This record gives sequence, C-alpha cells and structure tokens, in this order.
Amino acid sequence: MLISPTCVQRYIMLDAIKRWLERILEVVSISLLVTMAVIVVLAVVFRFMGKSLIWYDEVASVVLAWLTYYGSALAVLHRGHLGFPGLFLSLPKPLRAAAFIVAEFVVIGFFLVIGYAGWYLLGIFGEETLVSLNWVPLSFTQSVIPVGAALFIIAEILSIPDAWRKAMAGIDYEKEMIDQAIEEASQS
Amino acid sequence: MSAILLILGLFILVMINVPIAIALGAVALVGMVLSKGTDSIYNAALTMFDAATSFPLLAIPLFILAGALMNTTSISRRLISLTSALIGFVRGGLAMVNVGVSMFFAEISGSAVADVAAIGSVLIPAMKNRNYSPELSAAVTSSSASIAIIIPPSIAMILYGALSDTSIVQLFVAGIIPGVVGGFSMMGLCYWYAVRYDLPREEAFSLRRLWVAFKEAGWALTLPVIILGGIFGGVVTATEGAGLAVVAALFIGGVIYREINWQHLRKAMVEGVTQTAVVMLLVATSAVLGLYLTEIQVPQNFAKWVIGFTSNKLMVLALLNVMLFVVGMFLHGAAAIILIVPIVMPLVQQIGINPVQFGLIMTLNIAIGQQTPPVASVLVTSCSIAKTDIWETTKVNIPFIGVLVLVLLLVTYFPPVSLTLVNLFYG
Repeated sequence: MLISPTCVQRYIMLDAIKRWLERILEVVSISLLVTMAVIVVLAVVFRFMGKSLIWYDEVASVVLAWLTYYGSALAVLHRGHLGFPGLFLSLPKPLRAAAFIVAEFVVIGFFLVIGYAGWYLLGIFGEETLVSLNWVPLSFTQSVIPVGAALFIIAEILSIPDAWRKAMAGIDYEKEMIDQAIEEASQS
Repeated sequence: MSAILLILGLFILVMINVPIAIALGAVALVGMVLSKGTDSIYNAALTMFDAATSFPLLAIPLFILAGALMNTTSISRRLISLTSALIGFVRGGLAMVNVGVSMFFAEISGSAVADVAAIGSVLIPAMKNRNYSPELSAAVTSSSASIAIIIPPSIAMILYGALSDTSIVQLFVAGIIPGVVGGFSMMGLCYWYAVRYDLPREEAFSLRRLWVAFKEAGWALTLPVIILGGIFGGVVTATEGAGLAVVAALFIGGVIYREINWQHLRKAMVEGVTQTAVVMLLVATSAVLGLYLTEIQVPQNFAKWVIGFTSNKLMVLALLNVMLFVVGMFLHGAAAIILIVPIVMPLVQQIGINPVQFGLIMTLNIAIGQQTPPVASVLVTSCSIAKTDIWETTKVNIPFIGVLVLVLLLVTYFPPVSLTLVNLFYG
C-alpha cells in the first residue's frame, strides 16, 4: 500500500506537535514538583525557627492538584495510565478496532464533561480566594480542571495514531514500558 | 441493582482498555447524572479537584523525587557491595544479597518496575554466572522486591493511610517487624535452595572489606535513618520527612558522592511526575466514584451483607483476604488500594479491626498480587531480565510467595506482629 506524501507530512507535523507539547508538560510538571519540595522544606525550616508558614499546607496541596493534571496529560502522551490491556489485545482485529474507537470516545467524552463543568465553576467562584492567602483567587487554583481536561484531550488525540498502530499490531504498552525500564537500567 | 450495573459498566470499560482511572470516573459520572440529574457534573469536577489536594499524599511525589535523586548516583552498586561484604560468605550468599538490597531499595522510586530493573539488571546476570538457575534468580529478585512494599517508606501505605484516614507514621512503624520477618524468612529460603542445589559462597568474610564497603555506602544508609527517625520521633510529619529526604538525597548525591547525573535526573523526574500523576488521577476519579457509591450506599450494604453472613472477626478477615487476593491478581497495586479501601472501610470499622493492622493486610495482599499472573509487573520485569518463562518462574517462586502468605497470615491472625511497636511508641 502506498502512503501519500500529504499523509506522511501530516504525520510528521502531528509528531512535532506531540514532542512540543511533551516538552512543555515536562517543564511545567518538573517545576511543580520542585516548587512543592521547596515549599515543604521551607515550611520545616521556618517552623524550627519558630515562624510557621500558615499558607504552606494549602498552597502545597494546590500544587499537588496541578501536578496531578499536568502530569496526567504528560502520561497520556505515552499512554501511561494504568489499564488492563490483556483481553483487549486478544480480541480479533475488527472487534479490537471497534473497542479502540469506543474507548477513545469514552476518554475524550469524560474529559469534555469534566472540563466543561470545571470551566463553568470558575465563573461561580467569583471573588473567593484561598483561606490562607487572600490575594490568590480560587478561580486561578481551580483553573487546572478545565485546562488539565483540555490538555488531556489534546494529548489523547495526538497519541491516537501511535496507539492505533500498536493496538492493531498487538503491542502491549506495559511490556514496552518494562523493556524500556530494563534498557535504561542496564545503560546506567 | 445500580451497584450491579456499575460493576458491569466498569468491567466492560476496563476490558476494552479504557484506563482504570477514567473508567471509574466515567461510570460514576453516568450513575450520578442518571440518579441526580446533569447538575451532578459540577459536583464531580469539584470532587476531582478536592481529592487531588490531599496533603498526606504530597509525600508520594517527594519520596519519588528523593528516590530519583538517589537512583542517579551509584547507590545500587554501593548497597550491593555492602550487603555482599556482610552476608556474601554464606552459602547462597548472592541470593541473600538480592533480598537484602531489595529490602532497602525496592519501591524507592515509586515505580516497582524501575527499581526491579535497577537491581535485577545487576544481580540477575551475576546470579546466573554463579550457577543459579535463571528461574531462581528471577523469583528471588521479584519476591524480595515485593516484601519491601511493607518496609517504610512505602507508597502503598501512604495511599492507604490517606484514603482511610489512618496515621501513615503508625503504618510505617507497623510494617517494620513483618517486613524484617518476611525478609529474613526469604533469606532462610535462599539458604535452603543453596544447600539443596549446592550453590556457591561469595568471597570469604573480611572485616576490612566490610569497613570499606560500609564507608562507601554509609552516607546512603544515613538517609533512611535520618528521615524515619524524624518521622517516628514525631519531629516531622511523613510529608515533611519526604521533603527532608529530598534535601538529604541532594546533599548525599551532589556534595558527598558528587555523582548526580543531571541528564539521568531529568529522565527520572519525568518518570516520577508521571508515576505520581497516574496514581493521583486514580485518587481523583475514585473520589467521584466514592461519592456515587455512598449515595447508593454500597459500602454500607456491603458491610451489612458480610455481617449478615458472619460477624466473626476471623471469618471476615479471611473473606477480605480472599477478596483482596483476587483483586490483586487482576489490578495494579495502587488501583487495587484506591478502589477497595472506600468500599471495605465501613466493614473494617464495624467489625472492630484495627485500621493500622488492616493497612498491613492490604499492602501484603498487593505484594502477593505483584507475584501472581496475569497482572504481575514486578514478576514480568524480573522474568524479562532473566529471559525466563513466567509460568516456569512462578513454579520456583511458589515457596517465596508462600513466605509472603505466611507473613500475611501472621499479620492477620496474630495482631501483635504488626501492632506491638505501634502500641509501644504510640499506645
């Protein structure tokens, strides 16, 4: 079967966007992780100096929520969320293709609903702020739900071509992840 | 009726390879919309945010970051040298070294697969070179990695503690005796195999070699002592202890050993945030499911149903163990804890089971689940390194799984094993 040059070009472009998004999500997620560590360590230091930081647990918890959703979008680019692919991969090809399409609709549909609800809620929070820092609006901290949902959907769509190819070839993501971990461990 | 439809829906979605986290959220969302109308989607979105802001769970990414920092140094090599100098002179010493290193090391990065890969890629080839069968090499590596799940700091325990509102510090303390009993029993089993198959000793014991190895690995050993000492002594919380672990790991890796490889660290951090996010998304969507389950009274009805069948504590514990074992066979550890804890906790409380003891029962079942196919990522990783068949390895692994089951039975039916230290320090 011949693949048209336009098709190849589209695939290359999609791959470039995927890498670009991956890099951004990596930077954001690692920054959040480092911020979280710094906040917790500072809190311990300040407490020993007799000056407890009243905002630390509330802010650190919000950072964790942000890490959850930005990190989730990053994980989905590699289809890294826990699943049970055993039965799916043993289905005959046409059924597997149908199951793949339904599963994609479920994932995207779920985050469309949650993203919409999260977006709607931002308007409801109005002037409300964090309890310990009254200059940080709740609409800012909670923005991670609609933004995270949108990023999840984009990452899911960008990873469809690769996931489809692997699903049709019967490649197990978990097996692939294990092989990669072993390869990295033997290199280091 | 709603509960049956929910389980059916969940089953179908997981079978067509929808990620478990999204399958949990999706069935809950549909259930809530059908029973309470479309406004419940706002409640679901709020819950997904709130559940992800759990303060105790901050310990997970921080311990993972500390582990990632330590992993980029040559900590595994140093620990292997030290344990080898300590017990390598015994017959079958290399297998025992494997158990000893795993007890310290496994689960350190939050990804059991990455840790088993790190230890196994060094020790499995070494064991094969020393005439250990590939199946035995894989089985020892795999099972000893799983006993480490109950030795603090344990990601599984942090998850259980946060979800069941149980003290994470007390869970850590409770894991010490069963963890040590399990580890030493596995070493005993290694000795039995060594005598039976005439496996070799490593180098003769030398105090000089032990001292050199100790000096090399000493700083790495101070890390758990400082952190766990701080946590157990009540100086810092588990989350803060995890924060201090990051600082200590930076200091040891960057200043003392001068071995932090920033390229490796970036990779390890990406892996770490991904692992955290995968677990946390499960926590978030399962909270939505928890809302719906409470609404249709599943945990309460489950408790009533079991108590109607038997209110004998020992029988209930046996039933729970069977249920956790089956779930552990088919689900990954984190998913199993997140799914099961909210459903069984009312029953655990009503029947008067200590939540700390139940936490150990839960994590030990997860450990056994990591060894029992079809879903057994730790076993699969070991087998991939040793290039052995999973079922052939499982045959050799059965006595090691037996040790895990024995520790589980001890913890289940002889509570002092897990609770003595807890009562001593916090009673």
